[in-house]
Amino acid sequence: MFYLPLFGLIALLLILFFWSLRRPRLSKPVGDQAVAFEDPGPRHITYFPQIRQALEPADLAYLASRGPAGLPRRVRKERRRVAFSYITALRGDFQRLLRLARIIAVLSPEVGAVHEFERLRLSVQFSWRCQLLRLRLVCQLAPIPELSGLSCMVSAFAVRMEAAMKELGERAAMAAELASSLESRGIDSR
Amino acid sequence: MAGISKYVLWVWALNVAVELGLLLALASRKHYRNYPAFFSYICVDLLQAVVLLPGYLRWGFSAALTERFAWGTQGIVIFARAWAIAEICWHLLGQYSGIWALARRILLFFAFLVALYSILTAGWQWDQTVLKADLGLELTIGVVIVILFLFARYYEIVADPALRVLAIGFFLFSCFTVVNGSILQHKLKQYEDLWRILGILAFLASLSLWFSAFRKPLPVLASGPALLPGDVYRTLAPEVNVRLRRLNEQLSKLGRSRKHRS
Repeated sequence: MFYLPLFGLIALLLILFFWSLRRPRLSKPVGDQAVAFEDPGPRHITYFPQIRQALEPADLAYLASRGPAGLPRRVRKERRRVAFSYITALRGDFQRLLRLARIIAVLSPEVGAVHEFERLRLSVQFSWRCQLLRLRLVCQLAPIPELSGLSCMVSAFAVRMEAAMKELGERAAMAAELASSLESRGIDSR
Repeated sequence: MAGISKYVLWVWALNVAVELGLLLALASRKHYRNYPAFFSYICVDLLQAVVLLPGYLRWGFSAALTERFAWGTQGIVIFARAWAIAEICWHLLGQYSGIWALARRILLFFAFLVALYSILTAGWQWDQTVLKADLGLELTIGVVIVILFLFARYYEIVADPALRVLAIGFFLFSCFTVVNGSILQHKLKQYEDLWRILGILAFLASLSLWFSAFRKPLPVLASGPALLPGDVYRTLAPEVNVRLRRLNEQLSKLGRSRKHRS
Protein backbone atom coordinates (compact mmCIF):
# COMPACT_ATOMS: atom_id res chain seq x y z
CA MET A 1 0.00 0.00 0.00
CA PHE A 2 2.65 2.45 -1.13
CA TYR A 3 0.13 5.05 -2.26
CA LEU A 4 -1.80 5.34 1.02
CA PRO A 5 0.43 8.14 2.46
CA LEU A 6 -0.03 9.97 -0.83
CA PHE A 7 -3.80 9.66 -0.53
CA GLY A 8 -3.54 10.93 3.04
CA LEU A 9 -1.60 13.94 1.79
CA ILE A 10 -4.19 14.61 -0.90
CA ALA A 11 -7.01 14.36 1.67
CA LEU A 12 -5.15 16.80 3.92
CA LEU A 13 -4.62 19.20 1.01
CA LEU A 14 -8.33 19.01 0.13
CA ILE A 15 -9.38 19.75 3.71
CA LEU A 16 -6.93 22.65 4.02
CA PHE A 17 -7.92 24.07 0.65
CA PHE A 18 -11.66 24.08 1.29
CA TRP A 19 -11.11 25.38 4.81
CA SER A 20 -9.00 28.23 3.43
CA LEU A 21 -11.70 29.06 0.88
CA ARG A 22 -14.28 29.61 3.62
CA ARG A 23 -14.78 33.20 4.58
CA PRO A 24 -13.18 33.91 7.96
CA ARG A 25 -15.62 34.47 10.80
CA LEU A 26 -13.86 37.69 11.75
CA SER A 27 -14.33 39.19 8.34
CA LYS A 28 -16.90 41.93 8.47
CA PRO A 29 -17.94 44.75 6.18
CA VAL A 30 -15.38 47.42 5.37
CA GLY A 31 -17.10 49.80 7.75
CA ASP A 32 -16.16 47.64 10.70
CA GLN A 33 -12.51 47.66 9.64
CA ALA A 34 -12.60 51.42 9.75
CA VAL A 35 -13.97 51.22 13.30
CA ALA A 36 -11.13 48.87 14.24
CA PHE A 37 -8.59 51.39 13.00
CA GLU A 38 -10.17 54.27 14.83
CA ASP A 39 -10.79 52.41 18.06
CA PRO A 40 -8.05 49.87 18.64
CA GLY A 41 -8.30 50.02 22.46
CA PRO A 42 -9.43 46.99 24.46
CA ARG A 43 -13.07 46.92 25.51
CA HIS A 44 -13.03 44.39 28.33
CA ILE A 45 -9.82 45.19 30.16
CA THR A 46 -11.64 47.69 32.39
CA TYR A 47 -13.46 44.85 34.13
CA PHE A 48 -10.30 43.38 35.58
CA PRO A 49 -10.71 44.75 39.16
CA GLN A 50 -14.15 43.15 39.39
CA ILE A 51 -12.84 39.85 38.08
CA ARG A 52 -9.98 39.95 40.55
CA GLN A 53 -12.43 40.64 43.34
CA ALA A 54 -14.62 37.75 42.15
CA LEU A 55 -11.70 35.33 42.31
CA GLU A 56 -10.46 36.41 45.75
CA PRO A 57 -10.56 33.42 48.15
CA ALA A 58 -11.23 35.80 51.05
CA ASP A 59 -14.68 36.56 49.65
CA LEU A 60 -15.63 32.92 49.57
CA ALA A 61 -14.21 32.33 53.01
CA TYR A 62 -16.36 35.18 54.32
CA LEU A 63 -19.48 33.71 52.66
CA ALA A 64 -18.67 30.25 54.05
CA SER A 65 -18.43 31.64 57.55
CA ARG A 66 -21.59 33.77 57.41
CA GLY A 67 -23.92 32.43 54.71
CA PRO A 68 -25.95 29.25 54.28
CA ALA A 69 -24.16 25.98 53.45
CA GLY A 70 -24.72 25.88 49.66
CA LEU A 71 -24.00 29.55 49.03
CA PRO A 72 -20.17 29.53 48.68
CA ARG A 73 -20.36 26.70 46.15
CA ARG A 74 -22.98 28.46 44.08
CA VAL A 75 -21.12 31.76 44.19
CA ARG A 76 -17.85 30.08 43.25
CA LYS A 77 -19.53 28.43 40.27
CA GLU A 78 -21.07 31.67 39.09
CA ARG A 79 -17.85 33.62 39.52
CA ARG A 80 -15.90 31.00 37.66
CA ARG A 81 -18.32 31.34 34.79
CA VAL A 82 -17.76 35.08 34.81
CA ALA A 83 -13.98 34.51 34.78
CA PHE A 84 -14.37 32.23 31.77
CA SER A 85 -16.31 34.91 29.95
CA TYR A 86 -13.63 37.41 30.86
CA ILE A 87 -10.85 35.25 29.38
CA THR A 88 -12.91 34.80 26.21
CA ALA A 89 -13.43 38.54 25.97
CA LEU A 90 -9.75 39.20 26.62
CA ARG A 91 -8.86 36.80 23.89
CA GLY A 92 -11.25 38.63 21.60
CA ASP A 93 -9.52 41.92 22.38
CA PHE A 94 -6.18 40.32 21.69
CA GLN A 95 -7.36 38.84 18.41
CA ARG A 96 -8.67 42.22 17.34
CA LEU A 97 -5.28 43.81 18.00
CA LEU A 98 -3.53 41.01 16.17
CA ARG A 99 -5.85 41.56 13.24
CA LEU A 100 -4.85 45.19 13.23
CA ALA A 101 -1.20 44.10 13.07
CA ARG A 102 -2.03 41.84 10.10
CA ILE A 103 -3.75 44.70 8.29
CA ILE A 104 -0.63 46.81 8.82
CA ALA A 105 1.45 43.97 7.36
CA VAL A 106 -0.85 43.64 4.33
CA LEU A 107 -0.65 47.36 3.60
CA SER A 108 3.11 47.63 4.11
CA PRO A 109 5.42 47.82 1.11
CA GLU A 110 7.94 45.59 2.87
CA VAL A 111 7.20 42.72 5.25
CA GLY A 112 9.75 40.87 7.37
CA ALA A 113 9.43 37.09 7.36
CA VAL A 114 11.01 36.85 10.81
CA HIS A 115 8.47 39.21 12.38
CA GLU A 116 5.54 37.48 10.72
CA PHE A 117 6.58 33.97 11.76
CA GLU A 118 7.37 35.18 15.24
CA ARG A 119 3.87 36.64 15.54
CA LEU A 120 2.28 33.48 14.21
CA ARG A 121 4.23 31.39 16.70
CA LEU A 122 3.37 33.72 19.58
CA SER A 123 -0.32 33.76 18.76
CA VAL A 124 -0.37 29.96 18.77
CA GLN A 125 1.33 30.06 22.16
CA PHE A 126 -1.16 32.62 23.40
CA SER A 127 -4.08 30.39 22.42
CA TRP A 128 -2.48 27.41 24.08
CA ARG A 129 -1.85 29.29 27.30
CA CYS A 130 -5.36 30.67 27.36
CA GLN A 131 -6.59 27.09 27.29
CA LEU A 132 -4.28 26.28 30.19
CA LEU A 133 -5.68 29.22 32.11
CA ARG A 134 -9.19 27.90 31.52
CA LEU A 135 -8.13 24.47 32.72
CA ARG A 136 -6.72 26.05 35.84
CA LEU A 137 -10.04 27.72 36.52
CA VAL A 138 -11.82 24.41 36.03
CA CYS A 139 -9.47 22.95 38.62
CA GLN A 140 -10.61 25.73 40.97
CA LEU A 141 -7.29 27.50 41.12
CA ALA A 142 -7.54 31.27 41.15
CA PRO A 143 -4.66 32.59 39.01
CA ILE A 144 -5.11 36.25 39.96
CA PRO A 145 -1.50 37.44 39.42
CA GLU A 146 -1.38 35.74 36.04
CA LEU A 147 -4.74 37.09 35.03
CA SER A 148 -3.64 40.52 36.14
CA GLY A 149 -0.47 40.21 34.07
CA LEU A 150 -2.43 39.07 31.07
CA SER A 151 -4.80 42.00 31.32
CA CYS A 152 -1.94 44.47 31.72
CA MET A 153 -0.20 43.11 28.66
CA VAL A 154 -3.28 43.43 26.49
CA SER A 155 -3.86 46.92 27.81
CA ALA A 156 -0.26 48.04 27.18
CA PHE A 157 -0.34 46.53 23.72
CA ALA A 158 -3.54 48.37 22.95
CA VAL A 159 -2.15 51.69 24.17
CA ARG A 160 0.94 51.27 22.00
CA MET A 161 -1.15 50.30 19.00
CA GLU A 162 -3.42 53.28 19.53
CA ALA A 163 -0.42 55.62 19.62
CA ALA A 164 1.02 53.97 16.54
CA MET A 165 -2.24 54.26 14.64
CA LYS A 166 -2.45 57.93 15.53
CA GLU A 167 1.10 58.40 14.29
CA LEU A 168 0.20 56.46 11.17
CA GLY A 169 -2.77 58.71 10.46
CA GLU A 170 -0.61 61.80 10.84
CA ARG A 171 2.04 60.40 8.49
CA ALA A 172 -0.55 59.41 5.92
CA ALA A 173 -2.03 62.90 6.04
CA MET A 174 1.45 64.40 5.64
CA ALA A 175 2.22 62.12 2.70
CA ALA A 176 -1.07 63.04 1.02
CA GLU A 177 -0.39 66.73 1.58
CA LEU A 178 3.13 66.38 0.15
CA ALA A 179 1.86 64.47 -2.87
CA SER A 180 -0.83 67.05 -3.58
CA SER A 181 1.64 69.93 -3.24
CA LEU A 182 4.07 68.17 -5.64
CA GLU A 183 1.22 67.55 -8.05
CA SER A 184 0.11 71.15 -7.92
CA ARG A 185 3.68 72.21 -8.80
CA GLY A 186 3.66 69.79 -11.73
CA ILE A 187 6.48 67.62 -10.34
CA ASP A 188 6.35 63.89 -10.99
CA SER A 189 6.67 62.37 -7.52
CA ARG A 190 7.65 58.92 -8.92
CA MET B 1 -9.14 3.84 -34.58
CA ALA B 2 -6.55 1.35 -33.42
CA GLY B 3 -6.70 0.72 -29.67
CA ILE B 4 -9.17 3.52 -28.86
CA SER B 5 -12.52 2.64 -27.43
CA LYS B 6 -15.40 4.71 -28.73
CA TYR B 7 -16.24 5.88 -25.18
CA VAL B 8 -12.80 7.38 -24.72
CA LEU B 9 -13.09 9.06 -28.08
CA TRP B 10 -16.51 10.53 -27.28
CA VAL B 11 -15.42 11.83 -23.90
CA TRP B 12 -12.31 13.26 -25.46
CA ALA B 13 -14.35 14.95 -28.19
CA LEU B 14 -16.65 16.47 -25.55
CA ASN B 15 -13.60 17.66 -23.67
CA VAL B 16 -12.20 19.38 -26.75
CA ALA B 17 -15.59 20.96 -27.47
CA VAL B 18 -15.87 22.45 -23.95
CA GLU B 19 -12.26 23.61 -24.12
CA LEU B 20 -12.95 25.30 -27.43
CA GLY B 21 -16.03 26.94 -25.91
CA LEU B 22 -13.93 28.20 -23.02
CA LEU B 23 -11.31 29.56 -25.40
CA LEU B 24 -13.99 31.41 -27.37
CA ALA B 25 -15.51 32.79 -24.15
CA LEU B 26 -12.07 33.99 -23.02
CA ALA B 27 -11.44 35.60 -26.40
CA SER B 28 -14.88 37.17 -26.90
CA ARG B 29 -15.00 38.65 -23.39
CA LYS B 30 -11.37 39.76 -23.71
CA HIS B 31 -10.45 37.93 -20.50
CA TYR B 32 -7.04 37.23 -22.02
CA ARG B 33 -6.08 40.76 -21.01
CA ASN B 34 -6.43 39.94 -17.31
CA TYR B 35 -5.52 36.27 -17.56
CA PRO B 36 -2.95 35.94 -20.36
CA ALA B 37 -1.22 32.90 -18.83
CA PHE B 38 -4.48 31.03 -18.38
CA PHE B 39 -5.48 31.88 -21.92
CA SER B 40 -2.12 30.59 -23.19
CA TYR B 41 -2.55 27.41 -21.17
CA ILE B 42 -5.94 26.70 -22.73
CA CYS B 43 -4.49 27.42 -26.21
CA VAL B 44 -1.52 25.10 -25.62
CA ASP B 45 -3.72 22.32 -24.24
CA LEU B 46 -6.10 22.57 -27.15
CA LEU B 47 -3.21 22.59 -29.58
CA GLN B 48 -1.83 19.45 -27.95
CA ALA B 49 -5.18 17.71 -28.42
CA VAL B 50 -5.31 18.74 -32.09
CA VAL B 51 -1.74 17.58 -32.69
CA LEU B 52 -2.20 14.25 -30.89
CA LEU B 53 -5.58 13.31 -32.32
CA PRO B 54 -4.37 11.97 -35.72
CA GLY B 55 -1.70 9.85 -34.03
CA TYR B 56 -4.17 8.42 -31.53
CA LEU B 57 -6.68 7.64 -34.27
CA ARG B 58 -4.03 5.87 -36.33
CA TRP B 59 -1.96 4.04 -33.72
CA GLY B 60 -3.99 4.21 -30.50
CA PHE B 61 -3.06 5.49 -27.03
CA SER B 62 -0.62 2.76 -26.10
CA ALA B 63 1.66 2.79 -29.16
CA ALA B 64 5.24 3.69 -28.22
CA LEU B 65 5.43 6.53 -30.73
CA THR B 66 2.21 8.28 -29.68
CA GLU B 67 3.01 7.73 -26.01
CA ARG B 68 6.41 9.39 -26.35
CA PHE B 69 5.02 12.22 -28.38
CA ALA B 70 2.18 12.74 -25.87
CA TRP B 71 4.55 12.85 -22.89
CA GLY B 72 6.93 15.13 -24.77
CA THR B 73 4.23 17.69 -25.50
CA GLN B 74 2.92 17.27 -21.94
CA GLY B 75 6.07 19.07 -20.77
CA ILE B 76 4.99 22.20 -22.63
CA VAL B 77 1.43 21.92 -21.24
CA ILE B 78 2.73 21.57 -17.69
CA PHE B 79 4.97 24.58 -18.16
CA ALA B 80 1.95 26.59 -19.37
CA ARG B 81 -0.05 25.34 -16.40
CA ALA B 82 2.70 26.41 -13.98
CA TRP B 83 2.62 29.86 -15.56
CA ALA B 84 -1.16 30.01 -15.10
CA ILE B 85 -0.73 29.07 -11.42
CA ALA B 86 1.86 31.83 -11.03
CA GLU B 87 -0.71 34.19 -12.52
CA ILE B 88 -3.30 33.14 -9.94
CA CYS B 89 -0.75 33.81 -7.18
CA TRP B 90 -0.01 37.22 -8.65
CA HIS B 91 -3.68 38.16 -8.98
CA LEU B 92 -4.39 37.22 -5.39
CA LEU B 93 -1.40 38.76 -3.61
CA GLY B 94 0.46 40.85 -6.18
CA GLN B 95 -1.25 44.11 -5.19
CA TYR B 96 0.28 43.90 -1.70
CA SER B 97 3.98 44.23 -2.41
CA GLY B 98 5.22 43.33 1.09
CA ILE B 99 3.03 40.27 1.49
CA TRP B 100 3.68 39.24 -2.11
CA ALA B 101 7.45 39.30 -1.61
CA LEU B 102 7.09 37.11 1.47
CA ALA B 103 4.54 34.74 -0.11
CA ARG B 104 6.63 34.39 -3.26
CA ARG B 105 9.62 33.19 -1.26
CA ILE B 106 7.51 30.71 0.72
CA LEU B 107 5.72 29.39 -2.36
CA LEU B 108 8.96 28.98 -4.29
CA PHE B 109 10.53 27.20 -1.35
CA PHE B 110 7.68 24.69 -1.06
CA ALA B 111 7.45 24.25 -4.83
CA PHE B 112 11.18 23.53 -4.94
CA LEU B 113 10.88 21.09 -2.03
CA VAL B 114 8.01 19.08 -3.54
CA ALA B 115 9.56 19.13 -7.03
CA LEU B 116 12.89 17.95 -5.62
CA TYR B 117 11.18 15.15 -3.73
CA SER B 118 9.37 14.10 -6.91
CA ILE B 119 12.57 14.08 -8.95
CA LEU B 120 14.45 12.11 -6.33
CA THR B 121 11.74 9.49 -5.98
CA ALA B 122 11.19 9.12 -9.74
CA GLY B 123 12.57 5.92 -11.27
CA TRP B 124 14.80 5.85 -14.32
CA GLN B 125 12.59 3.90 -16.70
CA TRP B 126 11.49 6.20 -19.51
CA ASP B 127 7.70 5.81 -19.15
CA GLN B 128 7.77 5.70 -15.32
CA THR B 129 10.06 8.73 -15.02
CA VAL B 130 7.85 10.95 -17.13
CA LEU B 131 4.71 9.76 -15.36
CA LYS B 132 6.28 10.31 -11.93
CA ALA B 133 7.63 13.71 -12.91
CA ASP B 134 4.16 14.65 -14.11
CA LEU B 135 2.63 13.48 -10.83
CA GLY B 136 5.28 15.37 -8.89
CA LEU B 137 4.52 18.57 -10.75
CA GLU B 138 0.78 18.13 -10.22
CA LEU B 139 1.43 17.60 -6.53
CA THR B 140 3.56 20.75 -6.50
CA ILE B 141 0.70 22.71 -8.08
CA GLY B 142 -1.72 21.38 -5.45
CA VAL B 143 0.59 22.29 -2.57
CA VAL B 144 1.28 25.76 -3.98
CA ILE B 145 -2.46 26.52 -4.36
CA VAL B 146 -3.19 25.38 -0.80
CA ILE B 147 -0.37 27.46 0.68
CA LEU B 148 -1.47 30.45 -1.38
CA PHE B 149 -5.03 30.31 -0.08
CA LEU B 150 -3.92 29.63 3.49
CA PHE B 151 -1.76 32.71 3.21
CA ALA B 152 -4.67 34.74 1.86
CA ARG B 153 -6.90 33.51 4.66
CA TYR B 154 -4.35 34.41 7.33
CA TYR B 155 -4.10 37.97 6.01
CA GLU B 156 -7.86 38.13 5.30
CA ILE B 157 -7.37 38.78 1.60
CA VAL B 158 -10.55 37.88 -0.25
CA ALA B 159 -10.12 36.31 -3.69
CA ASP B 160 -12.17 37.43 -6.65
CA PRO B 161 -14.88 34.77 -7.43
CA ALA B 162 -13.41 34.02 -10.89
CA LEU B 163 -9.97 33.58 -9.37
CA ARG B 164 -11.40 31.18 -6.76
CA VAL B 165 -13.06 29.11 -9.46
CA LEU B 166 -9.86 29.09 -11.48
CA ALA B 167 -7.88 27.86 -8.47
CA ILE B 168 -10.53 25.26 -7.57
CA GLY B 169 -10.38 23.88 -11.12
CA PHE B 170 -6.61 23.59 -11.13
CA PHE B 171 -6.49 22.20 -7.62
CA LEU B 172 -9.11 19.50 -8.13
CA PHE B 173 -7.59 18.43 -11.41
CA SER B 174 -4.10 18.25 -9.89
CA CYS B 175 -5.35 16.19 -6.95
CA PHE B 176 -7.22 13.84 -9.23
CA THR B 177 -4.21 13.44 -11.51
CA VAL B 178 -1.99 12.53 -8.56
CA VAL B 179 -4.46 9.94 -7.25
CA ASN B 180 -5.23 8.62 -10.72
CA GLY B 181 -1.60 8.42 -11.76
CA SER B 182 -0.35 6.79 -8.58
CA ILE B 183 -3.00 4.05 -8.77
CA LEU B 184 -2.24 3.54 -12.43
CA GLN B 185 1.45 3.32 -11.63
CA HIS B 186 1.15 0.67 -8.97
CA LYS B 187 -1.95 -1.41 -9.26
CA LEU B 188 -4.36 -0.96 -12.07
CA LYS B 189 -2.39 -1.09 -15.28
CA GLN B 190 -5.09 -3.39 -16.64
CA TYR B 191 -7.77 -0.70 -16.16
CA GLU B 192 -5.84 1.85 -18.15
CA ASP B 193 -8.82 2.77 -20.34
CA LEU B 194 -11.09 3.39 -17.38
CA TRP B 195 -8.54 5.59 -15.68
CA ARG B 196 -7.94 7.46 -18.92
CA ILE B 197 -11.66 8.22 -19.16
CA LEU B 198 -11.73 9.31 -15.51
CA GLY B 199 -8.75 11.60 -16.13
CA ILE B 200 -10.48 13.21 -19.10
CA LEU B 201 -13.70 13.55 -17.08
CA ALA B 202 -11.81 15.26 -14.25
CA PHE B 203 -10.37 17.76 -16.70
CA LEU B 204 -13.83 18.18 -18.21
CA ALA B 205 -15.16 19.05 -14.75
CA SER B 206 -12.43 21.69 -14.34
CA LEU B 207 -13.14 23.06 -17.81
CA SER B 208 -16.85 23.31 -17.01
CA LEU B 209 -16.07 25.21 -13.81
CA TRP B 210 -13.85 27.65 -15.70
CA PHE B 211 -16.38 27.99 -18.47
CA SER B 212 -19.10 28.88 -15.95
CA ALA B 213 -16.83 31.53 -14.43
CA PHE B 214 -15.64 33.09 -17.68
CA ARG B 215 -18.77 32.99 -19.81
CA LYS B 216 -19.98 36.24 -18.24
CA PRO B 217 -18.15 39.56 -17.97
CA LEU B 218 -15.92 39.86 -14.93
CA PRO B 219 -15.68 42.92 -12.69
CA VAL B 220 -12.73 45.16 -13.50
CA LEU B 221 -9.72 44.16 -11.42
CA ALA B 222 -9.08 46.67 -8.67
CA SER B 223 -5.91 48.69 -8.92
CA GLY B 224 -3.41 48.29 -6.07
CA PRO B 225 -4.33 49.70 -2.65
CA ALA B 226 -2.51 52.71 -1.21
CA LEU B 227 0.29 51.25 0.88
CA LEU B 228 1.51 52.65 4.19
CA PRO B 229 4.84 54.44 4.56
CA GLY B 230 7.70 51.93 4.66
CA ASP B 231 8.88 52.58 8.21
CA VAL B 232 5.48 51.99 9.83
CA TYR B 233 5.79 48.23 9.60
CA ARG B 234 9.43 48.27 10.68
CA THR B 235 8.43 50.20 13.81
CA LEU B 236 5.28 48.31 14.68
CA ALA B 237 6.06 44.66 13.90
CA PRO B 238 8.90 44.23 16.42
CA GLU B 239 6.89 46.16 19.00
CA VAL B 240 3.89 43.89 18.57
CA ASN B 241 6.05 40.79 18.80
CA VAL B 242 7.81 41.97 21.96
CA ARG B 243 4.43 42.59 23.60
CA LEU B 244 3.19 39.17 22.58
CA ARG B 245 6.33 37.48 23.81
CA ARG B 246 5.97 39.17 27.19
CA LEU B 247 2.35 38.15 27.32
CA ASN B 248 3.30 34.56 26.67
CA GLU B 249 5.95 34.70 29.34
CA GLN B 250 3.33 36.02 31.72
CA LEU B 251 1.07 33.12 30.89
CA SER B 252 3.85 30.58 31.25
CA LYS B 253 4.35 31.77 34.84
CA LEU B 254 1.04 30.12 35.53
CA GLY B 255 2.46 26.68 34.82
CA ARG B 256 5.61 27.40 36.78
CA SER B 257 3.72 28.64 39.83
CA ARG B 258 1.54 25.52 39.83
CA LYS B 259 4.61 23.30 39.69
CA HIS B 260 6.15 25.31 42.50
CA ARG B 261 3.02 24.90 44.66
CA SER B 262 2.77 21.16 44.03
